This record gives sequence, structure tokens and C-alpha cells, in this order.
Amino acid sequence: MGASEADEGAADGDATAGGGSWTGPVLEARDVVKRYETGGETIEALKGVSLAAHPGEFIAVMGPSGSGKSTLLNLLGLLDEPTEGAVYLDGEDTSTLTERARTTARKQTIGFVFQNFYLIPTLSALENVEIPRLLDHDPDREDRAAELLERVGLGERLTHKPGELSGGQKQRVAIARALINDPRVLLADEPTGNLDQETGASVLEDFAAICREGVAVIAVTHDEMVTEHTDRTVTLIDGLVRSDEPSAGRRRADGHDPGPRGPGDGR
Amino acid sequence: MAGSLWHRFPTLLIARRNLTRTRLRSLLAMLGIVIGVLAIASLGVFGSTLQTSVTGSLGDIGNQLVVSPSGQNNVTYLTDQDVRDITRVAGDASVIPVRQGVATLDVHGTSQRVTVYGMERPAGAYNASEGRIPDPLRSGALVGATLADNQNLQAGDSIAVDGKTYRVRAVLESQQAFSPINPDGAVILPLRDVEGTGYSSVVVTADTGPAANETAIAIRAALNEREKRVTIFEFGNIVQQIRSVFNAVNLFLIGIGSISLVVAGVSILNVMLMSAIERREEIGVLRAVGYQRTDVLRIMLAEALLLGVIGGGIGAVLSVAGGLVINQFIVGDWSAVFTVGNLFYILVALAFGVVTSVLSGLYPAYKSANERPVDALRK
Repeated sequence: MGASEADEGAADGDATAGGGSWTGPVLEARDVVKRYETGGETIEALKGVSLAAHPGEFIAVMGPSGSGKSTLLNLLGLLDEPTEGAVYLDGEDTSTLTERARTTARKQTIGFVFQNFYLIPTLSALENVEIPRLLDHDPDREDRAAELLERVGLGERLTHKPGELSGGQKQRVAIARALINDPRVLLADEPTGNLDQETGASVLEDFAAICREGVAVIAVTHDEMVTEHTDRTVTLIDGLVRSDEPSAGRRRADGHDPGPRGPGDGR
Repeated sequence: MAGSLWHRFPTLLIARRNLTRTRLRSLLAMLGIVIGVLAIASLGVFGSTLQTSVTGSLGDIGNQLVVSPSGQNNVTYLTDQDVRDITRVAGDASVIPVRQGVATLDVHGTSQRVTVYGMERPAGAYNASEGRIPDPLRSGALVGATLADNQNLQAGDSIAVDGKTYRVRAVLESQQAFSPINPDGAVILPLRDVEGTGYSSVVVTADTGPAANETAIAIRAALNEREKRVTIFEFGNIVQQIRSVFNAVNLFLIGIGSISLVVAGVSILNVMLMSAIERREEIGVLRAVGYQRTDVLRIMLAEALLLGVIGGGIGAVLSVAGGLVINQFIVGDWSAVFTVGNLFYILVALAFGVVTSVLSGLYPAYKSANERPVDALRK
């Protein structure tokens, strides 16, 4: 019994870290194409897009509406499958995964922050944060949720219902919820879209802090302000990458300049 | 304690939370199940109570047989040989040959025609409400309850039957049962005092209904082998027929009750579909953060199950309460509701309620679980 447990442990290590040896991007889209059929008409939302996110990187995906940035986020989040190309998680192709395995991969690797927060109105902030882990028999769940809420500055609001929280506070609850599974990638869809400028800035500050712990953050937005906090800005237009360069106004709170990075430089 | 129990089954916890979010709607859906279960259970209990009350009066005589001459093959009376044959095959059962006739009864100066039964040992079949039944009956008369009441007769009085004077030895207990030999309005005399040849019938009383049934078979085999000498009137058969009629009535009532359960099922289907549509995005979020399809399916089914179990439980409790009232009024004994049959009806109703709920939850749960999160979250 003891031996088999040790075996399992070794197997786990391989599965989650892609081997401790994998040093490439944690999440990568390679030449992804996404076509939709709508009423007999084929719409090509992505026409061959590549994007790699390394641990600790904060990437903004910019673009006008209809540019395919939300589609890209769905593909990166393993919520949808590309028509062509593939999404790689720790260097492994995810297109061969079963629905169940994809769901498990999402749970273990990816945290989501939605523009509309999608909090459950009848549950307290604490319970909302616990939601992703609710089905696991985890005695530390509640403590961990409280800790995360404290970390995003809501330590005093644990029992408040979403209706009693401001927009920024709701977004922070959503961030705490995204972090409870210890993700290695955080995907945010218009994280500042429903927030005023000041609140938006402080939420982005939270994201930057999460990056410093080695989590890759990808934020889809058309808010220019976001790029002030990100390392890299990818601009999509009509389903193609128009530009991929270090963020112009990048000014990380730690003053650390990560320098330009491309896929495969192995940080 | 209860809290920790909920937390041990997080699926149920989530389901309960979801149900309490739309409290009124959940309550109304549950009410459907309550009514459905109540309808089935209480109609079942009502039917079986009616059956108990009717067969209760027949129940005592399920162990009695009346053997009569068949009327065929010139058999118009039973002989001593027939009685010996019956006694031989009847085993432990008491065998009372009866000679039936009609006589003029004079009491207190009034005269009337009454049925008279001649019996040697009536003590084996009847009980006295007043006086004592001699065993065997050699002299004196026994008077049926109705006749005694009408003529104001008591044990010790004198009556004249066809001019001959008898002392009333006992007044018989009133007969609840329906039978071709009914002494309620009759006089029982010693056998030799009733005119006639042989016997007009033989009353066989066994210990139990099944024993009576076996005895009937044995008597037929012994007496009807060569020619049909006797016909046997089996009370057990009648009791059985009445029971089967009541069972049919019961099934019919329960059928009506099930219609309301079907309606309740549709209402649960509706509620679950509504909530699945309302919670579409939320379920999308759950799927995105790592809930498997089966997790979502399980949560939704747990909601339906909770509705069914709680609604059905309330319905079962209410139908027990209703059964108490019905039994108090019909049988006069509220505790008569606690029978195996009634328990069966209530459990069946409860099971139907739960199954209906879960079946109704199946489609909405399946639909929610299989929606792609990306579609659910599309703005």
C-alpha cells in the first residue's frame, strides 16, 4: 500500500508540473483557428493566432470588439476547442483530452475572472470563494477562502452578500474565487470593464501582485489603462495578431523590469 | 450537528442552497408532491379502512361452511351417513347437523310463524348473551337475538312452539354475519322436536379460514365423488370475493391519486427547467472552475430528490394523520390505521413521490450538465 502511494505521488508530479523539468510557457496557443457556423454562414473568429504565457507574466490582449479576443480567451481557458491548431498546457497538447480531463485540467491549472463577476447572489463572499472547492472534502477550505479574501482586502466583508458589496469588492471576491484552486494561470475577461478608474487600477494592482507569485495572468480588455500594469500587450485585429510587444506604459509596482520575452526563452 | 451532516454531503448542501434561493417556487413544487403523495396514501388508507370495517364483520365466519343437499339426483336432505362422512373428514372442526322447519310460535298470547332449527349441539356454533346453552340440547329452546328483542323474551320465559311448551334456556348473541343459517329471528329446538327427515344442512366450523377451505375440499371429495350430493356454502370465498372487490376499488382510487402525482411531476419539471435556465451562467461558471458534468447532474438531481423526499415525507405524515381521523370515524378506533397494509400504501406513495421528482429532474439536469460552458457564458 505504502509503495503504491509513493508511485501515485510520482505520477502526480509528472502530471501537474509537466515534469518539474518543463520550463517553457505554462499555457500556449499555437496557430489556433476558430470558425463558427452561424445560420449557414461561416465566421472565422481567429485566423491563426499564437500566444504563450510564461509563469509570472502579465499579458494584456487588446483589440476592438469582434477581433476574436474573447474567443482566444475561451480557447486558452480550455472552455472551447480550436478548429485548427492546438492549445498546450505545460507543453502538452490539450486537444486529445476528454471532456472530463479538460475539466480537471481547468480546475487544477486555470482561474477565471469574469467581467460580470458571476457571483451567486444568495451566498456570502466567503461561500462564493469556496464554491470551486465545495465538492472536495477539504477541511481547510473555509480558512483558505478567508485568507484569500483578506489578501484582496475584504477581510471585514466575509459574510456580506454580493448585493451588499461594491463593484470593485465583487471583482475582488471573484479574484479570490479564481485563486482558491491555486491556479498557475489566471484568465480575466474585461476585469476592469464594470469598474471605475480608481477601482480598476487597484484590481490591476492585485493582478500584478498575483503575477509576482509566479502565476501567469492574461487579461482580455479594451481598456488602455490595463496595459500600464502588464508586461506584454498583444493586439488582435480581425482574428490576427497585429502586434505583440512589451507594454508601453509598463510600470510594475516592484520596479522590476522583466524585459521583453518571447515564447520559448525559458524563464 | 445537522450542519456538519450537510457539509459531509456537499452536493446536498449546494442543492439545498439552490432550493432555498427561490423559496416560494420550491415550496409550490413541493406542495404538488405533498398533494400527490397525500392523495395516493390517503385514498389507499381510506380504501383499506373501508375494507377492514366491512370484512371485520365477515372475518369471524371465514372459518364456517354450510353443507346443503345439492337438490340433484333426488338428494333433498342429508342422511346420518352423510353427517358421519362429513365428521370423518372434518377432523377437529365442529360439525352441527341442522334440521330446518317452520312453526307457529305463541308468546304472551300472540301468535306468529317463525323459522325453527333443530340442532343437537348448538353450543358448538353459537354463544348465549343471556342464560346458558346446554350441551347437548335435550330440552328447552334457544331464542335468537332479534326475536327475543321483538317479543321481549328472556331466559326462563315460557314459549309454545306448534302447541308444545318450552322453557327458554338462553337468548343467543346477535349474529353479525350473513349466513343461510341465521338464528337471529328463529328458535332453536332439540333436533328430535323438529319435524322432517334427515337434515336440511350441516354447519361446519373450523379453527381458521384456510382449515375451513381444506375441509370443504375434503367434504367435496368424500361426498360428491360419485354424484353431486351436496353444495357447500363457503364464507371464506365470500370474504375473499369482497376483499378482491375492495382491492380493485383501492387500485382505482390510487390510480386517481397517481394522476395528481403526475401533475406534480410536471410542475417539478417546470420548476427545474426554469431554474436551469435562470442559473445557466452560474452553471457555466461552475463548469469553468472545474465542476464535472456529473457534478452538475448530481446537484440538479439532488435538488429534485430533496423536493421529492421532503414533499413526500410531509405528504406521508399528513396521510397518517388523515388515516387516524378516517379510522376514528369509520372503524371507531384510531389506532387501526397502523396496519401493514396501510404502511405499505404510505411507503408506496412516498416512493412514487420521490421517483416522480427525480424523473422530472432528469431532463433539466441532463440539459444543464451537457451545455458547453462557453455557450452558457456567452454574453
